[in-house]
Amino acid sequence: MGEMEELRKEADNLKDQITEARKVVQDTTLQEAVAGTTLVGRVQLKTRKTLRGHLAKIYAMHWGTDTNCSKLCVSASQDGKLIVWDTLTTNKVSAIPLKSSWVMTCAYAPSGNMVACGGLDNMCSIYNLKGKDGNVKVMRELAAHTGYLSCCRFLSDSEIITSSGDCTCVLWDIETGTEKTIFAGHLGDCMSLAVSPDFKMFISGACDFTAKLWDIREASCRQTFSGHESDINAIGFFPNGNAVITGSDDATCKLYDLRADQELITYQDSGIMCGVTSLAPSLSGRLLLAGYDDFNVNIWDMLKAERVGVLAGHDNRVSCIGVSSDGMACCTGSWDSFLKIWN
Amino acid sequence: MGGIPLSEISHTEKLPLLRNCGRCVETIMSSKMQSSNNTAHARRTVQQLRIEASIERIKVSKASADLMHYCGEHAKYDPLLMGIPASENPFKDKKPCTIL
Repeated sequence: MGEMEELRKEADNLKDQITEARKVVQDTTLQEAVAGTTLVGRVQLKTRKTLRGHLAKIYAMHWGTDTNCSKLCVSASQDGKLIVWDTLTTNKVSAIPLKSSWVMTCAYAPSGNMVACGGLDNMCSIYNLKGKDGNVKVMRELAAHTGYLSCCRFLSDSEIITSSGDCTCVLWDIETGTEKTIFAGHLGDCMSLAVSPDFKMFISGACDFTAKLWDIREASCRQTFSGHESDINAIGFFPNGNAVITGSDDATCKLYDLRADQELITYQDSGIMCGVTSLAPSLSGRLLLAGYDDFNVNIWDMLKAERVGVLAGHDNRVSCIGVSSDGMACCTGSWDSFLKIWN
Repeated sequence: MGGIPLSEISHTEKLPLLRNCGRCVETIMSSKMQSSNNTAHARRTVQQLRIEASIERIKVSKASADLMHYCGEHAKYDPLLMGIPASENPFKDKKPCTIL
């Protein structure tokens, strides 16, 4: 097979070129660059609220972003419910029963009008929160993935992006319930996705140990980031959209800069030997909050890559974490069936 | 590799290819389909690598400086970093005062 051999050689050459090009711009390391920066002081956050109501493991949570609902969040549990919470009062704004209890992800639309969820049913179900009679109903069921739905994020009330165990991500037209673009390229289950602050790009983390940056309108993969030694479970953008943070089963988080096209630093500690399940940056990006399998959340100084705090309060794995859009609070969700609000 | 308009994907290409990953479903295909799929797959891999190789990169020193600058500029607006005075914390329960 002459062509296969040629293609293999060209692929290897290109990979070497990329490695070289990354080295060429590596005139320093982030570690060296921040040598003169003072470490953030110890961060001690307290549990301000505990959201009780789910009857089984919580798998996902997502904060609302609209000014009307910046203190609202949605959570998904394998008790088969989506709950919309008012985190200030701890009241349940909506408790939505799901057709399939095997839910793995949920999302709040930026407008506050809808929530979405999905999981082992391979579908992304969209719910209208602002229905005429006040009832929350299924608006659309987006079905086409051939694997579980691991994550979903709204671009607007009319578009949503999903990631799946079928190794692809998809951009959907919610109105028509159809796939607009399929983002294929990962060689392992896609576990997580995050949309850039300007809504033009998104990043995905997968079980092939890589993170990929996708251009939504060009429908192309721009960059691939390697380095992790196991599945990437969590991914997020640094607040200015120029860097990406990943969390992995290899017990580390990594910071990749998009414009330098390379890893800048790894957040690891010899005392941490369990996987990262979730992560969220604080408003300024200086703090990285990451949830782990050992029931804790570690707070990292993102520039100095040192641990500056721990949130210990859950009695089981922390499965999801999010910082509210105004940066005022962090919410953690756990397999112990509770959500906690910290600040 | 990369985003492909739905209309351009054949049915066989939508099925996950045989590969060594923990949770993916394995699909068995005939050897003829597999070899032509392998070439198509290899061609797409090369095409994608060409795209990724050709991007412009900035120096790590500049990338680091920009990150540090952003953190510095926004630190004072970061409640979790700066701490929130009790009177301004909407999540803090205001305990009633007891007069002894």
